[in-house]
Amino acid sequence: MSAYTAFVRSGFLTSLAYRSEVWANIFGKLVQVFARVAIWLAVYAGVTAVDGISIGDMITYALLGGVVMGATRYDRIIRHVGTALKTGDVAVWLLKPVHYPLYLLSIEAGASAYTFLLAVVPTIVIVALVYGMHPPASLFHGVMFAAYCGLSFIIHFLCAAIFGVLAFWLMTIFSLEWLLQSLISLLSGLLIPFWFFPEPFGSIASHQPLAWLVYYPSAVWLGRLDIGQTLLYFGFGIAWAGLLTLALTLLWRRAASRITVHGG
Amino acid sequence: MTPLIEARGVSKRFRQHKRFPGLLGAFKTLVTTEYTEVTAVNDISFDIAAGEAVGYLGPNGAGKSTMIKMMTGILVPSDGTLSVLGRTPHLERMANARQIGVVFGQRSQLWWDLPLIDSFTLHQRIYDIPLTRYQDNLKRFSELLDLKPFLDRAVRQLSLGQRMRAEIVMSLLHDPKILFLDEPTIGLDVVAKDAVRRFLAEINRERGVTIILTTHDLQDIETICPRLIMVDHAKLIFDGQLGKLRSALGSARRLTLEFATDPGPVVLSTATLTNDDGLIKHYLLEREEVSLVQILSEVGSTRDLKDVALHEPNIEEVIRTFYQRRNTASATTP
Repeated sequence: MSAYTAFVRSGFLTSLAYRSEVWANIFGKLVQVFARVAIWLAVYAGVTAVDGISIGDMITYALLGGVVMGATRYDRIIRHVGTALKTGDVAVWLLKPVHYPLYLLSIEAGASAYTFLLAVVPTIVIVALVYGMHPPASLFHGVMFAAYCGLSFIIHFLCAAIFGVLAFWLMTIFSLEWLLQSLISLLSGLLIPFWFFPEPFGSIASHQPLAWLVYYPSAVWLGRLDIGQTLLYFGFGIAWAGLLTLALTLLWRRAASRITVHGG
Repeated sequence: MTPLIEARGVSKRFRQHKRFPGLLGAFKTLVTTEYTEVTAVNDISFDIAAGEAVGYLGPNGAGKSTMIKMMTGILVPSDGTLSVLGRTPHLERMANARQIGVVFGQRSQLWWDLPLIDSFTLHQRIYDIPLTRYQDNLKRFSELLDLKPFLDRAVRQLSLGQRMRAEIVMSLLHDPKILFLDEPTIGLDVVAKDAVRRFLAEINRERGVTIILTTHDLQDIETICPRLIMVDHAKLIFDGQLGKLRSALGSARRLTLEFATDPGPVVLSTATLTNDDGLIKHYLLEREEVSLVQILSEVGSTRDLKDVALHEPNIEEVIRTFYQRRNTASATTP
């Protein structure tokens, strides 16, 4: 077992240390998902389909948003990186033979797995039992949904980590957290899917990296993308992840060299 | 033999944005490009051989931690060259990291929410320690520092003393050649301090681990480190055996004479009178070679001498007088 798999394990176990958080988590997520479902029920009152999208599709969409966004917490990542950089605790990590960004990714993967299993799955099951949920459009779409979820986690992590490293220069963790929160609720498709966006905003929104957080995984599940498009946009998502990785690496190097040259 | 650590004219200067006081000043601070330069380490050179135990001593802000950070590779020197185990630390930080252990008294490296033993197993993975060696080390060190009773407890539930013992054990699990400790006894009670000191001295003697520790506490140095490096205002002011510090810094012994009846003023050529309470008189012996016999013969047997006490200055006093003298000297020179 390498150091990084050991980090995944400790990320998982650290979350386990706060058991009461599990219940708070489940409750909070239930409220969120119910709220989103309630909004769509109100919007669709008396209408069977809007632009070819049925209310069943929208409920499924709201639930899937909970699946992909429920486990990973950008605020936790920003705070983790930001505080470590500002207090200088990051020095401890510079003293070890590990890469700090990879360490962060592993820890977050462990913590996310924990939240996914203990909070997301039960929440979704409860809401799905109450309102019903469409199965994936096909086996292919189902399998690709899982792959898109992995990609969603990676892009989510990269964006949050970039914001966290920025806190080193901007010296404000809190406002960065708020900024990313607003960006995510609008541009990930969590609140409103892009097919309801007026043009050209819909096209713009569907080509920026946050679209891979919620919009694409959910659209794939619902079968809104055919096989060719599903694979093509998966490739675009990977390209975004590559660019973001590059950005994070450069920013991290600059921060690390600033710490070692200027002492933070 | 080449030294394990070689510092040649090492300096570290930090640039800080100039700050202006007041409300207008706050706006000025926002746009200013002016810097003030702070020198934390100024032209320091020394060699440390394998197996040595060196105390790095100095008041707050003297540049102790900065020097440790440069030796461990997380700070780049502004000037001079630094070589640790034959490498330039900041250029080969990862390779360096595998062969050194670092303990920060004020910064925990343990996993706060997990049982203590989990921090150790993670350490084993991070450093790729062969399992048998890891188990041997853990067994031996936890016996020496008595960690057994709380290995399964979460780190956040441990006392400061237990935590510091754990930090030290963890830093040694990968058999580092050098152990750096930045104020390892800070905030500990007497018993915990003593346990830590005895352990470090033993590790140094038996395993030959080179130890470099910074501290304000002289007792740390007296029990662990035969060699002392002293810094003040970023500069090296003493490097040598602890015993030589006294003569190097020229601190005087104190003499107290107690008489049965007040003899009036007693003037001696060998000692200077500092305080005359009548029956009890205090003197300062500035010259090293003056012996008690010489003094007694000068006092003579006619005066009603009841008791004599000669105080060797303790190391703390030596250093205090040294700093005080330095401060008054720098205050008077323009």
